[in-house]
Amino acid sequence: MGSMTRPRITQSVHAALVGARSLVLVASVTVAAACLPPIAHAHEYWLAPSRYDGIPGAPVSIAAVAGTGFRGERKPWSPNHGVRFAVRATKVLDLSAAAAAGELEWVRFSPSDHGGALLAFESDFTPITLDPERFDRYLRDEGLNDALAVRLAASRRLGAAVPGRERYRRCAKAWLTGDIERRATVPFGLPFEIVPLVAPGSGSTLPIRVLAQGRPVAGVLVKAWRTRLEPSGMPTDPSARDSSVVCWRGTTDARGEAVLDVRTAGEWLVSAVTMVPSSDRAIADWESTWASLTFERR
Amino acid sequence: MGIAYLRTPMTRRRVTLARVLALGAALSLPATASAHDQSFSYADIEWRGARLAVTVTLHRDDAATLLGVAPASLLLADAVSGPTAERLARDVAARFSIRGDAEGLRFRFLGASTVPERNSVAFALEALPRRPLRSIAVESRLFTVATQHETFLKVYVDGRLTRQDVLTAGHPRVEVYRTDAAGAAAAFTRYVAAGMHHIFIGPDHILFIVGLILLGGGARRILGVVTAFTAAHSITLALAALGAFRPPASVVEPLIAISIVTIGWDNLRTRHGGRDWRAPIAFGFGLMHGFGFASVLGEVGLPREVLAWSLLGFNLGVEAGQVCIVLLIAPALGLLERQAPRLAARVVAAGSWGIIAAGGFWFVQRVSAGG
Repeated sequence: MGSMTRPRITQSVHAALVGARSLVLVASVTVAAACLPPIAHAHEYWLAPSRYDGIPGAPVSIAAVAGTGFRGERKPWSPNHGVRFAVRATKVLDLSAAAAAGELEWVRFSPSDHGGALLAFESDFTPITLDPERFDRYLRDEGLNDALAVRLAASRRLGAAVPGRERYRRCAKAWLTGDIERRATVPFGLPFEIVPLVAPGSGSTLPIRVLAQGRPVAGVLVKAWRTRLEPSGMPTDPSARDSSVVCWRGTTDARGEAVLDVRTAGEWLVSAVTMVPSSDRAIADWESTWASLTFERR
Repeated sequence: MGIAYLRTPMTRRRVTLARVLALGAALSLPATASAHDQSFSYADIEWRGARLAVTVTLHRDDAATLLGVAPASLLLADAVSGPTAERLARDVAARFSIRGDAEGLRFRFLGASTVPERNSVAFALEALPRRPLRSIAVESRLFTVATQHETFLKVYVDGRLTRQDVLTAGHPRVEVYRTDAAGAAAAFTRYVAAGMHHIFIGPDHILFIVGLILLGGGARRILGVVTAFTAAHSITLALAALGAFRPPASVVEPLIAISIVTIGWDNLRTRHGGRDWRAPIAFGFGLMHGFGFASVLGEVGLPREVLAWSLLGFNLGVEAGQVCIVLLIAPALGLLERQAPRLAARVVAAGSWGIIAAGGFWFVQRVSAGG
């Protein structure tokens, strides 16, 4: 009977205690959120196949992921923003027709031989505006020194920092392992592209060439991340795994080339970005193109 | 979309438990941010009988931007436990509208939940209109600030996926019809009106029709000319609407202007004793006008679930509009011809020169604008 009605004073104390506990919890969430890795200014974007082994007849689910430290979340297929989504295997196939709008699994693809397959995706431009400090920090982090120098000069001239009005696009590739090297090494024709000069994952080093509009680009900062594979050899869930640190960093030489150290087994992401003055100043002052290449090394 | 809120009593212990669970959820989610990400949402509509169940799923980053919540991970915590969910649902409702048979629907907010695999918050709503609906119009302006925001829409009618679409700033609205007789009738009526509307707001089509009947020549001849035009544009309208063949507007629009110049010139030529070529001209250029109608239909959108009925309706609407113009002008010209033949001849001449001038102007305008 006593448990049915609680004295008023006790109810108030109980409510206060519950309120205090809730406050502590909400504060904990805030603190925990603050302790999480800082939100990056730039996000890598990569094609994430469900497997890289390229076994004929074995279906591969293709997703695209945006994130930092080789961890991120899957992004839905958007027919409005996808300029090109194709695979080069026995022949070049347009995958965009098979991709369903809004789906996180873009398509399922089964290799038909052991030759390997190169997946490629190109998006259109998306505009974004960042505050001046954040934009300049992002330029610094990504080695976009020319753009940074122009902005700093403009800031000095104007006497005030200007927001970063940018539009960006993605050019992502993924290599499903196979023994016909040229499927991987021939440029796909993306506006900005990381072209492996050997089949990715076939050796402890990976020579690459970075092309912009088909021409080699010198002085581009290239970064690489690696994450472990499941014991079964399959890639881990990109949204559930730990962040990776950049494990290789270098700049392309005069021929637009760099040689990456990829001796450790795992899933690899290579990324580079270029930024040029925007061709449409009404929308943005700058336009960046993000290139990536994902593959596995056993 | 009006919303009536269902408040579920929640004990403090439940609130605390919800926050504990939310804390876990918030911590387990990756700390990715909105910068350099797509902005998107999902809208799933279950339309069964008279009930409409709607689930709107927002990415936490977009929802956080909408509410001014930072960091976004906190939002998922609050969304589960109540008040923020209601506030967000109200914001969503103000930007996401569903009308049934052209009338606003009153929606009931059922609750919010997290969708961890999508890093999203989902809002469940339902509407129970008094009578079964024949059509719904869905409009999403969820994120007017994010101009590239996309809402991936799926509409299930009686459990079957009937429509899939992507709503954007440039294509914010879509109409969906039931596939039964009532839905087909609604689509037919809607597209008859759209076809008539297009004829009445299109001065180029009106002028071409006027040019075809300006010379008169009796009911039988006029009927023949108008039938040739109708047959031609029906063929190309169907071809283009079904996606079989659609030439670019940069080609079609100048050719429509040329058709107007041609019919004006032909009237002047025939008036001086030349052979009447109106029926072949009507057929030949009618093919181009059909492509023109199709581009308008493309802007209105053709519901795939009642494709045949809507296409037929649009075509009949165009015919009805044409008939109205013919019935208005042909008798007046016939009367003038009988009562004052010399004046009628002057009207034909002046009218033809006017048609040529208008057609010429449109041609130059359209070529310089690239179609």
